[in-house]
Amino acid sequence: MAAHAVATQERQGLSNGMLGFILFLASEVMFFGGLFAAYFIARADAREWPPVYLLTPEQVAAGVKLEVEFWLPFIATLILVTSSVTIQFAVFSIQRGNRSGLIRWTFVSIILGLVFLVMQVYDYSQLHFGVGDTIYGTTFYTMTGFHGLHVLGGVIFMGIVLARSLAGQFTAANHEAVEACSFYWHFVDVVWIALFTTLYIIP
Amino acid sequence: MPSTGKVRVIRRVHLLISAALLALASISPAFAGWGMPEPITDQAKRIQDLWVFTLIIALAVFFAVEGALVYAIIRYRKRGDGLPKQTHGSTALEVVWTAIPVLIVITLFSYSFIVLRDVEKEAPADALSIEVNGFQFSWEFTYDLARLGRGEAPAKDGTFSIIGTAAQEPTFVIPVGEPVEFRLKSNDVIHSFYVPNFHYKLDVVPGRDNRFVITANQTGEFTGQCAELCGINHALMRFHLRVVERAEFDRWVAEQVASKATVRQP
Amino acid sequence: MTSIAIPRPAYAERPRVLDWLMTVDHKKLGILYLYTTLFFFAVGGILALLVRAQLAVADNTFVNNDAYNQIFTMHASAMLFLFIIPVWAGFGNYIVPLQIGAADMAFPRINALSFWLIPPAGLLMFSGFLFGGAADVGWTAYSPLARSSGVGLDLWIISVIILGVSSTIGAANFMVTMFRMRAPGMTMFRMPIFCWTMLVTAVLQLLATPVLASALAMLYIDRNFGGSFFDPNGGGNAILWQNIFWFYSHPAVYIMILPGMGIISEVLPVFARKPLFGYKAFVFATMGIGGLGFSVWAHHMFTTGAVLKPWFGFMTFMIGVPTGVKMFNWLGTLWRGSITFEAPMLFALGFLSMFLIGGINGTFSAAVPVDFAIHDTYFVVAHIHYVLFGGAVFAVFAGLYYWFPKIWGRRLDERLARIHFALQFIGFNLAFFPMHLLGLDGMPRRIATYSESSGWETLNLISTIGAFLIGVAMIPFIINVVMAFLRPKDQPNDPWEANTLEWWTTSPPPVHNFDSLPEVHSERPLWDLRHGKAAH
Repeated sequence: MAAHAVATQERQGLSNGMLGFILFLASEVMFFGGLFAAYFIARADAREWPPVYLLTPEQVAAGVKLEVEFWLPFIATLILVTSSVTIQFAVFSIQRGNRSGLIRWTFVSIILGLVFLVMQVYDYSQLHFGVGDTIYGTTFYTMTGFHGLHVLGGVIFMGIVLARSLAGQFTAANHEAVEACSFYWHFVDVVWIALFTTLYIIP
Repeated sequence: MPSTGKVRVIRRVHLLISAALLALASISPAFAGWGMPEPITDQAKRIQDLWVFTLIIALAVFFAVEGALVYAIIRYRKRGDGLPKQTHGSTALEVVWTAIPVLIVITLFSYSFIVLRDVEKEAPADALSIEVNGFQFSWEFTYDLARLGRGEAPAKDGTFSIIGTAAQEPTFVIPVGEPVEFRLKSNDVIHSFYVPNFHYKLDVVPGRDNRFVITANQTGEFTGQCAELCGINHALMRFHLRVVERAEFDRWVAEQVASKATVRQP
Repeated sequence: MTSIAIPRPAYAERPRVLDWLMTVDHKKLGILYLYTTLFFFAVGGILALLVRAQLAVADNTFVNNDAYNQIFTMHASAMLFLFIIPVWAGFGNYIVPLQIGAADMAFPRINALSFWLIPPAGLLMFSGFLFGGAADVGWTAYSPLARSSGVGLDLWIISVIILGVSSTIGAANFMVTMFRMRAPGMTMFRMPIFCWTMLVTAVLQLLATPVLASALAMLYIDRNFGGSFFDPNGGGNAILWQNIFWFYSHPAVYIMILPGMGIISEVLPVFARKPLFGYKAFVFATMGIGGLGFSVWAHHMFTTGAVLKPWFGFMTFMIGVPTGVKMFNWLGTLWRGSITFEAPMLFALGFLSMFLIGGINGTFSAAVPVDFAIHDTYFVVAHIHYVLFGGAVFAVFAGLYYWFPKIWGRRLDERLARIHFALQFIGFNLAFFPMHLLGLDGMPRRIATYSESSGWETLNLISTIGAFLIGVAMIPFIINVVMAFLRPKDQPNDPWEANTLEWWTTSPPPVHNFDSLPEVHSERPLWDLRHGKAAH
């Protein structure tokens, strides 16, 4: 009886873990896709944007203004893009077996991520509208809020990578979690660029 | 006692058959229009024709495939230990049974597209136009005295409404033989305006201006109800419709105008 | 030919209960999935009987309108989210690694997480009954109605999000498992057809489920934080929910039926003793259905007046083409076969004859003007039940009878199975065929009661009798399973003379699945071994 016996096959290219992680990111793209769809449908429905005509007299009296600040989020965007570069430096470092580079660049990325979060919270505190103030407020806080949660998730992810780096768990040959983390962080970055373009730039 | 047993069996069969006949008799009205209730508008007639056409094709496909299935089950049941011929497929057959459904689908689509275009025509400017307001859990039918259609225009302007409650189902009236437009409004949740004899329903959506036109082709009393789940008393959101001759419609309008406190001057 | 023994891992002995709670073995998780989902099938079935009891006679007051709305909502939610969708994950968990000759799923611990999210989510969903009422706005949760429903709906939203996470990570797991862990020689086009359908299902789940999650998040924000997504007064859109919901939920219909088609396509060749006719055509048809599934969602929305009707009508008709191809391929498999009628085959043939109706009566909704008449009536209820009960549930039972000897190593009784099948087949048609006529006659779905003057009483009574007959049909099944568990585990590796690798190993398989694997030269490796390549 002819019989082979191999439990699993090792193949070239992405590992199973990375493939699974990329599939997970694909599902995340679809999640944000749903939110973007809602936003653009709302804009298509609106007579003007921001839809100030929807504000009730009470909202106007309470000082609600459907406006966003540009420069602070713009600086935050630069910071987040920079952090995407620094986390990539972390990956390059460990690919060359440079553990201290990995630790340094991961640490920098975490700090930049935290700065972004702080700036976002500060930005929220400066706005004159809430999540309940028309579809404008609802979409704005929902989209940036879910993105913010993903940034927080990414910071925690990088924190785990940093802890494992300090424990010396990564080598030039074995650093899959670092790469997965960088993929995730790039994804969070790309979503933000799309969000920034949509919410702050498109008039 | 075989004979008693036989009698009992026969009696049971009789009982079964009469029960089946009874059931058939009670549902037979449903078969009159190939399952659909009587169409009372020109549009409903078109939709019913499309239904019958589609149904005939569907039944043909059903009997052909189900017949082939039953035939295969009987004809090709295991008869010996010999292995059947191991056929893995046939590209020619796959092409054929992809192409045939495509042709059927294109036929059905074309016909349904034509019917769709015809039943969704816009109302002529002089059509009777009724605003239908769906709310939890009844209906309000508002007639604009300036848009009463092709009868004699009443002397004054304004509107009057028929307002129902879940306990008191509203009845509204339309004239036969002329286009009637329904404009659907809701301020709470989504309802659906459905008259089975129209073979048509259209959702009543907050924030949307949905409207449709029918031309009734026979008089009578009909019922309709909400077809979109809208809350606790969704099932009670029924209404009634009387289709009458134009003269009777005009009389009805005059009565409403005379008696209704809800007539408002614009 | 060399034979390499697979090294046996050493297993730590744990207490039995702890072992089931902590297992990462795909087979044990598969069994847990099956038990859990069948439990919710029973719960959903009892709710269905309450619905039918209420509708048995006109103007009935057996349950009040409020309770009725909760009951039918939870019936559908349990059946769809807690039974049909995860039951395929259960079969897939047990069978896919065995069919591709793998030792386990790609990510065993994530697999365990996928399963363990389900029982708490189910309890959460049903806990609404304890907190002033469960969800009561239909499983479709149409807004704006759903914006103002009670707290039960919040629990429902959270529960469905959790279930969505479960099926999304499960989907990624299945995909990686099938892409990466196939036995030597098993190319993608030699993969068993059940695996193919699980793969396409996984793709649909991965891409569609997160979209539902986004819609649910929006609904939650509308309900709890004053959001305006679905409120036209705040600039939102009352139709938006339906667009996003059906963008998920139409593919979800294929998520619910494709693996069932896969099971049928495993069973028919075995009991007709022929290969699946047109294997590749079948795979492409499955992909076609999956792809088209993303472009037909608005056929649920023709009566909203807010969608491009001709386009979605045409695409919906087109779905009939790959579905027809599958039907013909199944017929081609039976044609000139040598058919025997063991329990799995009975249910598979039941699937063919009933799913055919479910396929045909769905095309009426593609003819848009006809849909104006039948939309939101009992005709649609008949359609979904011919697809999801006549299709999916018959396939579930085909799969249970087929793989029972493999999973539990025990034999099920054929006579009891035949009684089960006959009762279920008759009960099913009694319950659901009359709904076509009711719907055509204008009976809307989701109404808690109807008046005597409607003339709907006779057909509703017949339907109720049929529903209870389905309930009765479960008795011989339960007896059969209980009696099987009293028998010894005596089943051989391959009691059906089947084709695929799961029948190569013992029944039930060892923890590591295989001591050895045969060479794979076709999609029927075991057939090749029995009859030699010449017979191929």
